[in-house]
Amino acid sequence: MINIHGIGWIDARGYGCIAKGTRVAYEGDTGFGGLSKKLFSHPFKYFGRLDRISKLTCYAIALALKDAGIDYSPELKQDIGAIGANDSGSLQADIDYFNDYVNCGRTLARGNLFIYTLPSSPLGEAAIHFGLQGPVFFSSAPKKSLLKVITTASEMLLSEETTAMLAGMTGENEAVYFTLMRDNTANKDFLCDADKAGAILSRDMPQDKLVKEFSSLRKGRDQ
Amino acid sequence: MLTETKAVVVSCDMVTAFGAGTDALWNGIRSGATAISKIDRFNTKAFQSDHAAVINGLKYLKKDSLVMQMFRLLFKDNSASIPEDAKLILATTKGEIDLLEKKFLTDRGEASDSNPHKLLKKISALAGVKDRGMIISAACASSSTALARAASMIRSGHGDCVLVTACDSVTEFVYAGFSSLMALEKSAARPFDKKRSGLSLGEAAAYALLMSDARAKREKRNIIGEIAGWGMSDDANHMTGPSRTSDGLIMAVNKALRSAGADEGGISFISAHGTGTVYNDAMEMRAFHFVFKNKLPVYSVKGAIGHTLGAAGLVETITALRALKEKVIPPTVNLKAADDDAHGWVSNKQRALANKKMALITNAGFSGINTALVVR
Repeated sequence: MINIHGIGWIDARGYGCIAKGTRVAYEGDTGFGGLSKKLFSHPFKYFGRLDRISKLTCYAIALALKDAGIDYSPELKQDIGAIGANDSGSLQADIDYFNDYVNCGRTLARGNLFIYTLPSSPLGEAAIHFGLQGPVFFSSAPKKSLLKVITTASEMLLSEETTAMLAGMTGENEAVYFTLMRDNTANKDFLCDADKAGAILSRDMPQDKLVKEFSSLRKGRDQ
Repeated sequence: MLTETKAVVVSCDMVTAFGAGTDALWNGIRSGATAISKIDRFNTKAFQSDHAAVINGLKYLKKDSLVMQMFRLLFKDNSASIPEDAKLILATTKGEIDLLEKKFLTDRGEASDSNPHKLLKKISALAGVKDRGMIISAACASSSTALARAASMIRSGHGDCVLVTACDSVTEFVYAGFSSLMALEKSAARPFDKKRSGLSLGEAAAYALLMSDARAKREKRNIIGEIAGWGMSDDANHMTGPSRTSDGLIMAVNKALRSAGADEGGISFISAHGTGTVYNDAMEMRAFHFVFKNKLPVYSVKGAIGHTLGAAGLVETITALRALKEKVIPPTVNLKAADDDAHGWVSNKQRALANKKMALITNAGFSGINTALVVR
């Protein structure tokens, strides 16, 4: 049985963990700055060099792992995979890199910008920091991308390709990641099963509504 | 849970720098030829190299992207064999990135024309499938990841027909990036050679139509081979450099063998990623030494057609299936003197395949992504 053990989310107003029922609103207009010390349990090497989409992805993954009660460190590698989606691949990173290259007279490309022109790079950064040694790839669909990545993650767990999966989506100013695990039927300590999550995600709602929907599942479970 | 259903390849084809068709690639590699040569598609003066393996006749920064020109060649004679109910997967790293270049360099079109979803829609129409499809991008392991997902969908009963497509092209965007990372060989890549010093970029588009064995039988399809097992992992180590311990690739290979219900003795040969960079090839050989007790024939196609990035895994899987069929292990083109760790494993001569069992295909990419496929 595949279950959702945690959901971490972040947007322009705050962040939270759904299974644990935590929600933090930014004080004033702080945006995403200064969050790395709050959200990562270990120092994130060179976090400042990451592009925006990578930072948001890593924040949401940190929250999803915490929500599922999974400890991590770059040294403790675990067979956990990560699949991520977004609507535009790596378009902004592509523009940043190529604009810089053209402005430099088309002679010198910057490798540190080029790296983020791969849609899978945000997940690669997450894999290094969180020690994720399972399958890592970007996957996206024209509609209901989040539902598709959750479905794919469930399939991978069912076929025992890995022990746990992080699956989610990153937008311009928000990200949400789910932690999925395969459980025996006796375990009841999870937010909902993957089928229930799929039914909610099939309605293709914006992230803030999605957070509300899944938060209501937790409240229902606690009553 | 995986069922007893088999995921079989019933149709496949490719366009590479050797030209259109699998025969062109197969005959080119077997002859020991390389399609890597000096390029004039863009100015390479500022770069580490001026060589790549490009497809003759493609028009750069014109109406159609390079990869769409390749797909038109690819599907010209093949789309009739693709059922309209096939699920669609597109594997690529940079897709139509030349459309973004066109905006910056000629102020025609929009940067967002390069959005991979737009390419997916075009391929869906070209191949004649109804499915809106999905994109998979896993750096240079994109299409082997896509094949794994397609096989998984079939074996888990979530579909009985999946069209896997893959592409990437040689563009200034990509070339400048690899050059900035000092990853390019000055002339033509020499995988597993003592004097190798980098990769050569290449371009390709390919497709494979996978079906459940039951549907293939029902439709009287010719079965080319089976995607019998797969394994994926991440080094969780470095964004661009391969693992110094190879533990990620070892994990992927072991998962693939387990998934295929095979042990190391069941593998007849290995189609390696073999980019020609010092560290990639050493990482792979370290993994092969660890997993396989006895030396196995290993080859790389990248000295012949360059590194086709997101298309590499699919091109190499089709080639491995051809090798199994022909009972011939192709040579590693441009190999002069095998590095110490590859001695007795790789050869610049084609070799007869004594026992036609299974083949292992390995791929690796930026972000430490590793894939291993087992085919038979």
